[in-house]
Parts: sequence; C-alpha cells; structure tokens
Amino acid sequence: MPATADDLRAIGKRLGSFPMNLTTTEISEADSRLTETEAERTARFEADALGYLDQLYGAALRMTRNPADAEDLVQETFAKAYASFGQFTPGTNLKAWLYRILTNTFINTYRKKQRQPLSSGGELEDWQLAKAESHTSTGLRSAEMEALDQMPHSAVTDAMNELPADFRLAVYLADVEGFAYKEIAAIMGTPIGTVMSRLNRGRNQLRAKLADFAREQGLIPGGDDDDE
Amino acid sequence: MTTSEPDFEDCSDVLEHLYAFHDHELTEAEADHIREHLMACEPCLDSFQVEEALRALVRKCCNTEAVASAKLRLRVQATITRTVVVTEAE
Repeated sequence: MPATADDLRAIGKRLGSFPMNLTTTEISEADSRLTETEAERTARFEADALGYLDQLYGAALRMTRNPADAEDLVQETFAKAYASFGQFTPGTNLKAWLYRILTNTFINTYRKKQRQPLSSGGELEDWQLAKAESHTSTGLRSAEMEALDQMPHSAVTDAMNELPADFRLAVYLADVEGFAYKEIAAIMGTPIGTVMSRLNRGRNQLRAKLADFAREQGLIPGGDDDDE
Repeated sequence: MTTSEPDFEDCSDVLEHLYAFHDHELTEAEADHIREHLMACEPCLDSFQVEEALRALVRKCCNTEAVASAKLRLRVQATITRTVVVTEAE
C-alpha cells in the first residue's frame, strides 16, 4: 500500500529534528542523492535498509503481538521509508530512522483501529510514581538468579506482551534494541522524561511478573506457602 | 540544583537511579557516586546484580526468534519495485 501524501507530511514533520546544517562532505553526499537515478536510489535502499528487515519484523512482532499484523506493519513501514528515503541523510542513524517510521506507523494504525488502548488507562500522578518507584517490587535476590535461566523463553515474551503497548515499546527499544533515551524519545515522539517514566513503570511491571512466575513455578522459594 | 554534585542521600535514591545507571544515562559524577555506594552497600549491590541478571534474561529471550518470512521479504521488495515502475512511467 503506497504511503499517502498526509502520511509523508507526517513523517516529514517527525524527521524535522534531523541535522539541517550540512557540512561540506554532507553537501556532496546530498548532491549525489539529488543526482542519483531512481534505480540507483532503489539499489541504495535495498542495500542499506532491507538489511534491517528481520530486526524490524522482530520489533513489529513485539508491538502488534501477532505475525499477520506484524507483516502488514513492516510492509507499510518499508513503503513509507522508501518513499521518503531521499530525505534520509546518509551517514546518520538509519536504524533509528526506520524505527521511527515503524513506531509512527504502529501508533497511527493502533489509534485508527482502536483495538486496544495504547496506555494502561489513567496516567499516574508524579507523586504516586515517586512513591511506587522508591522501593523494589520483585523481592528477588541475586543468589536466586541462576534459577531464572531455567525459565522458558515464552514466559518472558508472554510477560512482555502483557505490558501496555507504550511501556512495552519503551522497554523493547531500551532493553532489547539498546537505544539510548534520546533516541527512544525521537523514535516515540515524546520528551525524555516520558521515556524514563515509561521505562520505569514497564520494567517494574515486567520484573514483578517474572518474579511471580518464578515463584509459581517453584524456581525460587515463594512467600505463599510460608504464609499459610 | 546543579548536576555537578550528585545529591543521593540514601539507598532509595540510589535504587531510584539504578535503571539509568544500567542504561549509561547518568553523568560521570552521578555514576561514580552510585559505584561508590554499591561497593559499600551489600543490599544495593544485590539489587544491582538482580537487575543485571533480569536484563540479560529479557534480552536473551526477546532477541532471538524473529526472522521475517520469505513471503514478507518478497512483499516488501515488490512494494519497492512497484513504486519504481510507477515513477518511471510518469
């Protein structure tokens, strides 16, 4: 499905924060972008961007949580990325640029489809957050960590999938993809403070779920039996 | 308040910054202060190690499986090719 003019304008707006002051070398690269043929541009796109197909599909799978939607999301992302590839400055972070388009497409599709709320419902006030985050909630000890290696992968991915979409995305971008806070802020189109708050809450929820699972499965001693 | 002198008073301040410390998002001065505290405080060091292990677990479990199908690869390539044909026809 080709990107509409509105889509492209929206992407163009989001990409506006990329460096605008070109140095001499960047100008010569920009010139080559202007003079290259469609075929050359396509070849450059295939060589540079298509290499991220598996990674973007993995990210799309984490976002949508089902393969059919993930494939649609990835295809739409590449269509938009290709259409605006002329605006991408060679030498800057292509992966982050593609993730931004992926995330933007995901969020827009989500909001249109209204399949699930993007956040967990009522936003917590700052004082509630500060209170909730001033102590660790897992109660795990490092001596118990070896047992967690026996945890099936599906237990972790299920716990991840249960997180609200915006928390899940922040945690995924930070902990699996290794993006820095300011890159995540650019990708998600939010202030850094929002990224940190989503990361805090998403990670806390994820860790609490993992600790619960480990106790239920008897991988680590649980508090339940002792209390009875 | 400036960022030059970290203002962490107790364990809860340190724990609050543990995620950012792991993420390498603190200033050098802040990170040094956390390191100093971790070396002196057994419970906080334990929390640090738990966080380290959980991070590795999440990364390992979420990072491995996804491979785009051949069908998706073809669909994506077809999208690009089709766009070229349309452009050249104009």
